[in-house]
Amino acid sequence: MALKKLRDMLDKKEISAVELTEQYLDKIEKADKSINSYITVCAEGALEDAKKAQEKIDAGSANAFTGIPISVKDNICTMNVKTTCASKMLEDFVPPYDATVMEKLKKSNIVMLGKTNMDEFAMGGSSQTSYFGGVKNPYDLSRVTGGSSGGAAASVAGGLCAAALGSDTGGSVRQPASFCGVTGLKPTYGAVSRWGLIAFASSLDQIGVIAKSAEDTGYLLNGIYGYDANDATSSKKSEGGYTSLIGSDISGIKIGVPKEFFGDGLNDEVKQAVLSAAEYYKKLGCELVEVSLPSLEYAVSAYYLISSAEAASNLSRFDGIKYGTRSGLGDDYNDLIKNSRREGFGNEVKRRIMLGNYALCSGYYDAYYKNATRIRTQIRSEYKEIFEKCSLLLTPTAPTTAYKIGEQENDPVKMYLADIYTVTVNIAGLPAISTTCGYDKNGMPIGMSLIGKPFDEKTVISVCDRFERDFDKREAAL
Amino acid sequence: MFNSELTKHLAELSKLEFTDEELDKMTEDMTDIIAIMDKVCGFDTSKPAYALDAVDYNDLRADAHTNSYPTDKITANAKNVKNNSFVVPKVV
Amino acid sequence: MRYQPVIGLEIHAELLTDSKVFCTCQNEFGGSENTRVCPRCSGLPGTLPLLNQGAVRLAAKAGFATDCVVHNYSAFDRKNYFYPDLPKAYQITQFEHPICTDGHITVTGGKDIRINRIHIEEDAGKLVHDDYEGISMADYNRCGVPLIEIVTEPDFRSVEEVQDFVEQIALRLKYAGVCDARMEQGSMRVDVNISIMPVGSTEFGTRAELKNLNSLKAIGRAIEYEINRQAEILDNGGTVVQETRRYNDNHGDTKALRSKEEAHDYRYFPEPDIPPVLLSDADMAEIKASMPEMPQTRFARYTKEYGLPEEDSRLIISNKEFSDFYDEAVKVNPDYKQISNIMLVELMRHLNESEKAVSDLLFSPADLAELVKMSTDSVVSRNAAKDILKIMFDSGKKPMDIAKENGFIMDNDASGMDDIVSKVLSENADSMESYRNGNEKVFGFLMGQVVRAAGKGANPKLIKDLLTEKLK
Repeated sequence: MALKKLRDMLDKKEISAVELTEQYLDKIEKADKSINSYITVCAEGALEDAKKAQEKIDAGSANAFTGIPISVKDNICTMNVKTTCASKMLEDFVPPYDATVMEKLKKSNIVMLGKTNMDEFAMGGSSQTSYFGGVKNPYDLSRVTGGSSGGAAASVAGGLCAAALGSDTGGSVRQPASFCGVTGLKPTYGAVSRWGLIAFASSLDQIGVIAKSAEDTGYLLNGIYGYDANDATSSKKSEGGYTSLIGSDISGIKIGVPKEFFGDGLNDEVKQAVLSAAEYYKKLGCELVEVSLPSLEYAVSAYYLISSAEAASNLSRFDGIKYGTRSGLGDDYNDLIKNSRREGFGNEVKRRIMLGNYALCSGYYDAYYKNATRIRTQIRSEYKEIFEKCSLLLTPTAPTTAYKIGEQENDPVKMYLADIYTVTVNIAGLPAISTTCGYDKNGMPIGMSLIGKPFDEKTVISVCDRFERDFDKREAAL
Repeated sequence: MFNSELTKHLAELSKLEFTDEELDKMTEDMTDIIAIMDKVCGFDTSKPAYALDAVDYNDLRADAHTNSYPTDKITANAKNVKNNSFVVPKVV
Repeated sequence: MRYQPVIGLEIHAELLTDSKVFCTCQNEFGGSENTRVCPRCSGLPGTLPLLNQGAVRLAAKAGFATDCVVHNYSAFDRKNYFYPDLPKAYQITQFEHPICTDGHITVTGGKDIRINRIHIEEDAGKLVHDDYEGISMADYNRCGVPLIEIVTEPDFRSVEEVQDFVEQIALRLKYAGVCDARMEQGSMRVDVNISIMPVGSTEFGTRAELKNLNSLKAIGRAIEYEINRQAEILDNGGTVVQETRRYNDNHGDTKALRSKEEAHDYRYFPEPDIPPVLLSDADMAEIKASMPEMPQTRFARYTKEYGLPEEDSRLIISNKEFSDFYDEAVKVNPDYKQISNIMLVELMRHLNESEKAVSDLLFSPADLAELVKMSTDSVVSRNAAKDILKIMFDSGKKPMDIAKENGFIMDNDASGMDDIVSKVLSENADSMESYRNGNEKVFGFLMGQVVRAAGKGANPKLIKDLLTEKLK
């Protein structure tokens, strides 16, 4: 149900916040054993939140989010509620503070149903690397959800929350949204505060929203965006009003179709679905423009080098001393922290740390890390040129649809290459949305992405919304 | 070329411990991964490296202190605390 | 000497900010364990650094104080290494784009020592070791205390040059309000890089880095020891190892710190959480304008304009508050020499004896200026002026009030004194007779008698003149 509709029902007292929360908790209880989208379900806390929300509703002082039950990815710090990053390393970590996004939403008496499952430390595109077990796709439980915000996407697709907060470093909101048949919005870098988001790659990370529709993503983004004095990389440029262009005429809008995104390696069904979406826009009066991002071929390598380098440094603080898993082994400091990290981190996280230190270490820095940042500059300037010719880009979100669990997530190289269509958005700090534009022969959702100019989420959301209105969406059969 | 010596060196920098078997597997994985990463090595080095947009000095945080956190909240997640301090095996 | 030492310095100075460099915890020395700590400076997951404007300002001031180029653009990097006093396992510092470069200070002998760079960084925490239990305990109170690191070129060739440089740096940082530069408390820490080469050679030897030098004296002793140690190695055909050595003040020697298991590879890269900092020319001009006069400029003013001896000038500037007090006093009464004298002798003695600082003084520079004027104008005698200063020091009362209350005002009325002198002479006819017979010693006795009769305010010069006149 649309968030706007839920708001309306709560305000008209057709349902109470507590009843609504109970409905979701019931559904989680029934369905999440098979999906595994939540690491922590906050039943008690959610009911308390709901009671307070109802008081506010009854007092006539409710706002947009009062009583709306959401899920929160488990790398977003929640005061007094375990925040694990789906890692053994943080399996019992309880932050003494709230992320800025949580602080904002709590002020509005939103209801937090629980913390969602993900790839360990948000590193991955399958949500199978979680210490708490992999997440299963509500459309087909034998398939992956994508990742790293797989729990968030599955919780929305399975109807286990009204909307979800995720995070996106290289596609972690958009790709699982695509695999799970829901809508995922990655805002412009700096639009949403990163304070309280446990860092994977600081220059690429951004908190995003996963919901049932583009309109809902804008609705929730309205509650979390904005400059935050606690985050020096947050921006003052965001203006809010993210759903304000919805319903406006989109004819005449120039949509770029970057040719490099439709080359080898793209599944044919996905290609056809995205191209027919382009035709749909053309019929509505949009102008399709062929554009080019020549450096796309470097994108995956540059992304993995930069993100892993930052991750290697960001994850160095996990040594078992101040928080997290502390090994019983090790007679000296060095052995103790090595054993703690050995026990606390999974294989993919270890690979990224190793790769990051490779990129940064003496003798390799210039050839790898430094060149990757040069490519970053190049990709940014290519996007700048592209946006002189069009207002939006239309691309596939991922080369394929959701694959079978066990099929490819154990092959790191294959996994990395599959990020090709999402990573440039993070490299350039742009806003992008993924929505469903078709279904493959197995009935799995196909995702397309709209990429916008910096801080132009409004246009991205409204153009996406226009497509969704005429699209015949199939709900997951749970 | 990537080899087990380099893996060991990176493991030391990363403060990760591997068994011999794990080390071999890691060397294998890293060899494949680096093969993709090598793509960046030939990139035009005359292009500028990326840097965040600079902020104005006047937009920086003003120099004024506020209250610190209660000590017990700072140490609450640690497994070994003594004298309100974090305990490690003795370092020189 | 057969060997020539080649020395460079790395000086860490704690900045006198109110808050820490990347969080809002108070920047203060000491405190019980982990009481000045927050999620940011203890490195909790999800936290981000927030650069303190005050730290940037003070670093820029340090640059201006040492004739550095202060840059419009500076940026932060991460220095990655694991140690239990570093909770994030990286130190935020400035590697590629330090805020200041290319400075210099002229040391004794007129030689210029080049400063390579000054950059901003954060301090690490403190470890307390428990040998009995075999543990170390980490206290993060000092984590995130703002530091600047001043790095010189290897331009020093003697202990004297090093000590003079360190003294000058400390003084300039104090003047600029950048750092209180207390080496013994660790708010300024000097690391010495030293190598030796045969006299006449131009090729530097392998250097050792000396740590734990917490006084000028320790720096001198450590360098001397190290020169001898390295010379002995070379004389015996050995080679000096590049290593870090810790100075032990009790033994006066240096010992190699246990070498790390592997060479350091700090994997510096740009700090993604802190945007680079832009200092506009206007900001720069404003910061520069807020700089107080530097000690070397004062020294020149005192010696050249005021005609003070170099030694006196050096003494005055060595304490900024003392020097400020002097400057305020001479503004009111430009008697440079007399004010310098009374401050360096009398005031300095009272301060030392009472272990008080200039900031504790109960009277103002203007009061002191007035006192000196009262003395030079013969309102009070020189000896009385000393007594008055002591009372001012103890009570804070105004010099004129003290003089009046205690009858220190000199009576310069010649006619009144004339009567007193005549009276005393008539009462001491014998002495007068004796004087006239050539016994000049009795003059002092007669002086004393007149002073006693005239009271404390007696003008000794007037009495002397009258007595001499009447005894003729």
